Amino acid sequence: MLDDFYQFFRSKSKIGEYKEAGRKIIGTLCNNVPEEIIHSLGAVPVRLLGISQTTENARSKLPSWICYYARRILEDGLKGEFSQLDGIVGMTTDDTKMHLYSAYTFYVKHGFSYLIQTPYVRDELSLDFFAGELERFAVKLSQYLSVEFDEEKLRSSVRVYNRFRRLCEELCDLRSDDAPKLSGVDWMKIMLGSTCMLKDDFNKMLEEKLEHIKDSEGIKDYVLRVHVSGTDYYDLEILSLIESMGAVIVSDDLCTATGYFAGFVDEGKNPLRSLAERSLGCSSCILSSHPDSLSIEDRIAFIKERIKKSRAKAVIILRDRGCEICGHQYPLIIEALHSLPVLVLDMDIPVSVEQYATRIEAFIEAHAR
Amino acid sequence: MKFQDWKPLGYKTLYRELFRKHLARQNDLLKRGRPTGWFFSFHPSELIYVFDVVSAFPEQYPAYCAARGSSMDLIDTSMSVGYGHFICDYFKTTLGSIIEPEKATQPTMPKPDFIVDTRALCVAHHEMAEVFSKIYRVPRYVVNYPYWTRDLLGKVDELTKIPERIDEFYLEYCVEKLKGLVGFLEEVTGEKMDEAKFKEVFRVSEETSKLLVEIPRLMMAKPTPGSQRELGDLVFVAFFVLGSSYAYEFAEKAYNIIKDRVKRGEGVVPEEKCRLLTFGIMPWHSLSLYEYCERLGATFPVNLYVNTSVYLVNPEKPFESMVRRSLHFANSTYEMMEDILENVKKADIDGAVLFENTGCRITSMIIRPLADLLYSRLGIPSLIIEAPQCDPRVTPLGKAKMQVEAFLESLR
Ligand code: SF4
Ligand code: SF4
Repeated sequence: MLDDFYQFFRSKSKIGEYKEAGRKIIGTLCNNVPEEIIHSLGAVPVRLLGISQTTENARSKLPSWICYYARRILEDGLKGEFSQLDGIVGMTTDDTKMHLYSAYTFYVKHGFSYLIQTPYVRDELSLDFFAGELERFAVKLSQYLSVEFDEEKLRSSVRVYNRFRRLCEELCDLRSDDAPKLSGVDWMKIMLGSTCMLKDDFNKMLEEKLEHIKDSEGIKDYVLRVHVSGTDYYDLEILSLIESMGAVIVSDDLCTATGYFAGFVDEGKNPLRSLAERSLGCSSCILSSHPDSLSIEDRIAFIKERIKKSRAKAVIILRDRGCEICGHQYPLIIEALHSLPVLVLDMDIPVSVEQYATRIEAFIEAHAR
Repeated sequence: MKFQDWKPLGYKTLYRELFRKHLARQNDLLKRGRPTGWFFSFHPSELIYVFDVVSAFPEQYPAYCAARGSSMDLIDTSMSVGYGHFICDYFKTTLGSIIEPEKATQPTMPKPDFIVDTRALCVAHHEMAEVFSKIYRVPRYVVNYPYWTRDLLGKVDELTKIPERIDEFYLEYCVEKLKGLVGFLEEVTGEKMDEAKFKEVFRVSEETSKLLVEIPRLMMAKPTPGSQRELGDLVFVAFFVLGSSYAYEFAEKAYNIIKDRVKRGEGVVPEEKCRLLTFGIMPWHSLSLYEYCERLGATFPVNLYVNTSVYLVNPEKPFESMVRRSLHFANSTYEMMEDILENVKKADIDGAVLFENTGCRITSMIIRPLADLLYSRLGIPSLIIEAPQCDPRVTPLGKAKMQVEAFLESLR
């Protein structure tokens, strides 16, 4: 039943439908690109995730050791897998994402491109700046699309996206039950589906399925509740492997799952300012913080809150070996999670399941209830 | 291939003198109980001298460790506590020196009382500033400059960093953030900024910057007058001590030496066989690679890395000047690489030796597009050497020499 979502992700068939109906498709290179702006202008935002299992073309353009998230995007771009796109929007969230935007626009050409400049800090000055930056983006895109930017339409898109977030939160909560209603693999499939559909369609589809999921018996025969941590991770193989060994994944902080929807946009304020606040304020933006605190502390708090809610008893870190955020942050995150057992898996593609099986099995066995 | 006599400019003595003065200043300020700040490249160094604070640099210190052979152990220390392999060598080396100072080259950096987290080059600066402020529990101030695009700047002069225009919206934000930095420094020092001193430091900075900009320009002369082995440390002067009187004294002497040599038509080696461009953070453990190439007749009139570090200060617009420091091609979309081609053409380059610094995304991700551009626009071939700047284990010097020799053969 939930495979429909995943099929949309794999086949990009929904995007094809939108395109045929005359909609422009705009790819985004970061969670923090406010999709609401693109949506309000009548285009379809798609969070880009590459699906190539090897990256031989990208290798001649990028160092081999950078995160495979970035290598795959460029690989798919070079192979023409993103030919449905009319434009691309990046964000200066980290070094990889900045230069990935450059590399992508240097080697793969689409009609529209914009790079959103992020300030990394949530003081008043920076929030105002960022709201202004979002307005500039909105104006540029509206010019490209020949559509007037309209604040009322943006408010309406914000409502669609907040609905999306509420539904995802509701669905995510079902993983916290004693008998989680959803496996980690199914959760990821739904999340991946959401990245390449109009949220209006996704919301409808999920609303229909939600009651059915709620009524299901849930997963009872597990031995360990696990929280999965990482950045732009979305391969199903390792999640399947973890769950095939008796664990159930009850929460995560992945940019591609919980990080993708977490945080609401305040509907009572100027929408651009509210979008700026969400983008810089929720922990899916892992590098911005209040001036008196650190983003790593925000991220730790976010992870702990998710673990508390889901009652996870162990953490598995899926660390893209080329991810700069993982490289800098995990020792401090692990230190902060001192009461929980943690397993760190260094990931790269192509994913070789056998390589990880013994360690995952031993970890689950050692901490089983 | 035949080795030639090698005649460097003799900057080594000048650097020694500069470091001596810099350390004397640091020691004096430390004795007087002045606060210590940690700063990153492309920060507004003038403010260090306006506020009389002690400055330490988590990029310069690791380079020093690499040159003296302690960086490998320090890198291993960081990785043994869980930090990633593919992150910046400077970060890993500095962190290693915090965790196991007994393994580090002495003197280690003084502990920070505050951190100035400016991102004018890499987000890694911001990432490591977070880790350092968490370890030391000290305040930190963030300034993030844009990652520039053609739309925002038009064309930019590679050496002076003077653009056709700067989009007001971004300029104003950065200027306000820099004014906030002044406020932050007033707080950490407990002193109001001295306006007269501010003006004086910027006057010195301008004078120095005029001279520093000329050094890479003169390096493009034929024959190449100096060695990249000695030019490399110019980044220390331009990044970290610009605004000091000793930087000015250095620049004046260094400029005169290179100017005289160009006037005399003298090169670093008697017979220049080919002229190369280089980019990437210099592998501090293997700077002798440059000397090796030069002795073989392959000189380096252009070092794009050194070129990023210099810029022309305008004391009439000090805050705008601080922002212009970030207008280099490594902090810009790849379309801006076009602007460096002008100097490449002027310097009459035959080939490029590019260092891919493992763990440093901001320089390494440019390497291949740069090689593609040099080849497609000017027919210049490149050799790419993987060389993390503080860790010689990836490409030992012997291997790098062989790669370079083969490349030079192919250029004949
Ligand atoms: S967060 Fe990590 S995985 Fe994602 S783009 Fe940045 S470096 Fe790559
Ligand atoms: S530019 Fe590269 S080497 Fe320098 S601090 Fe940043 S990541 Fe490290």
